[in-house]
Amino acid sequence: MTRHKQEIKDTRIHLCLDCGKCTVVCPVARYNPDFNPRLIVQRNMQHGGGNYTDEAIWSCLNCYMCLERCNYHVQFPEFIRILRTEGLTKGSRAQCSHGGVLQSTMHLMADEKVKQQRLNWLPRDIKLSEQYDTLFFVGCAPYFDIMFKDLGVNTLQGVQSALRLLNRAQITFNLLDDELCCGRDLLLQGDKEGFMSLAQANAHKFHQLGVKKIITSCPECFYALKVDYPKMLGKSVAEVVYWTEAVAPLLESGNLRLGALAKKVTYQDPCTLGRGLRIFESPRKILKAMSGLALEEMQPNRETALCCGASSWVHCGAANRQIQDERLTQAEATGAEILVTSCLKCRIHLKCAQQSRNGKKPKIEIQDLATVAAGSLDEEAD
Amino acid sequence: MRHNNIVVFTCNWDGLSCVEAAAQNRLSYPASIKLVKVSCLSRIHSGLILKAFELGADGVMLLGCQPENCLYEKNGNFSSKEYDKALGLMELLGLGTERLRLSRLPRGDGDAFIKEVEDFIGAVSKAAWCSTKS
Repeated sequence: MTRHKQEIKDTRIHLCLDCGKCTVVCPVARYNPDFNPRLIVQRNMQHGGGNYTDEAIWSCLNCYMCLERCNYHVQFPEFIRILRTEGLTKGSRAQCSHGGVLQSTMHLMADEKVKQQRLNWLPRDIKLSEQYDTLFFVGCAPYFDIMFKDLGVNTLQGVQSALRLLNRAQITFNLLDDELCCGRDLLLQGDKEGFMSLAQANAHKFHQLGVKKIITSCPECFYALKVDYPKMLGKSVAEVVYWTEAVAPLLESGNLRLGALAKKVTYQDPCTLGRGLRIFESPRKILKAMSGLALEEMQPNRETALCCGASSWVHCGAANRQIQDERLTQAEATGAEILVTSCLKCRIHLKCAQQSRNGKKPKIEIQDLATVAAGSLDEEAD
Repeated sequence: MRHNNIVVFTCNWDGLSCVEAAAQNRLSYPASIKLVKVSCLSRIHSGLILKAFELGADGVMLLGCQPENCLYEKNGNFSSKEYDKALGLMELLGLGTERLRLSRLPRGDGDAFIKEVEDFIGAVSKAAWCSTKS
C-alpha cells in the first residue's frame, strides 16, 4: 500500500472517527451484512496495510451516499477504488457482470490497431458542425444498445434525442468517429492501467483536434471527463458540460420551447450526476418545461436518492437486486406512469430488475430524459 | 505466412465428435487452432468470445450440434443470441464479422470439420485487422 500512500492520504481516510454514519446510510450495508464501510476502513487501515482478500470491497456501488453523510468528507468510494487497484495487483479478481464482455470491449477499444465503426447509427437529420471546438461525447451507448437489446432499453435513442434537442437549441457540436470509452468503469473497478490507456488516447485526440468544450449526455462520461481526467492526467482536457446544463437555461430564457406531455412522471437522480456532481435541478427544469407534465418526486430524492443498485459492471448479486426492487417500489408508490432518468445505466439496471421481479408485471415505464423531452418536440410544429 | 490464432469453442457432443472423427481418420488441421471443449455451446456468451479476441485470437469458431440435435435440448437458441450480440460488438469495434463463425455440423463428420476450419482460416487471413497480441 505504500505506493498509494499519497492517494490514500488524499481520501482523508485518516480522519475517520469510526462513527458508522456511512454504514447507516449505505444501501448495500442494509441488504448485505458483510458490507460495512466502517469496518472496511478499520480492517484495511490496520497494521499499515490493506487486506487483499477482503471480498467486501467489490460490493461498493460508488453511490456517494457515505460521502454525503460523512462529517469529515472522507472519500470512501475513492478508498475502495485504491483497495481494488491494489487487490488486482495482488491477484484478487472482480466478478464481472455480463461475462466480462464490457471489460473486454473497453480493453479492445484501447488497442491502437482497432478502428471502430461507431457512427453508423447517426440519423441524417442531425446537423454536425464542421469544426471540433465543441464535441459531443457519445460514450458507450452504441455498445450498450447491442448488449442490452433484449431488455428493450434502446440506449442510442437517448443519445439521438439529446443531439436533436441540441440541434433545436442551436448549440453546435461535432462527433468523433474514433472516440473511445471514457474508462470510468475500468477505473471504478480498480483497473487504473486500463483507464489510463483510454484516458490518454482520448485526451490526445481532444488536444489534436483543438477541442475546447465537451458536451455529454452520460453522467459517467461527464464525471470522468470533468473530474477523473484532470485528476489522473494532471490537466484538464476541455470545458465539460452536461447536456441538461446547456439546455435548461435556454428553456428558462424562452429561447427553446418543449412541447406537451400529459403524463405523471418521477425522476431518478443518477448518483454520479446528483451526489457526485450536484446536478439536481436542470433535469427537473427540462421535465417541468413540458406542458401538462406532472412531476411527482420519489421518497427519497435528490441528495438522498437511492442508487439504481449496480455500478461499473462488477458484482451484481442479491443485495443489488433488493436495492433495485426497493427503488422500483418507491417509484411505483408515486403513482407515476414514467420513471425518467438521465443515466443510461440506471435505465439498464432498473429495467433488468423489473424483468426479474418474481413475476411482478412492470407497473412503471422507464424512460430516458432526452427521449421524453425530444418526444414532446415532435408534437410541436417546427 | 503467419499462422492465425483460432480459438474453437466446441460442444462436448456432436461438435467434438467431428474433431475426434477427423483425428481418427488421420486428417490434419493447423496447429494454431486452439480447441476449448465446453458441455454445450449455450455455455459460451459474448464475454468469452470477446475475451478470446482481447487475449490475442484472430478468429473464434463456435462448433456445435445441428438444430434439434442438442443433448440439452437448447437447440442453439441461447448460443445464437450471444453469437448475434458478439457479432454486433465486433462490427462496432471494427474487428469485422468474418472473424466469428457459428458452425453446426452433423455428428462425427470429420471431413466437414476440416473443410469448415480451413475455410474459416482463409476468411480470417483475408480480414485486415491483425491480432491484438501479434
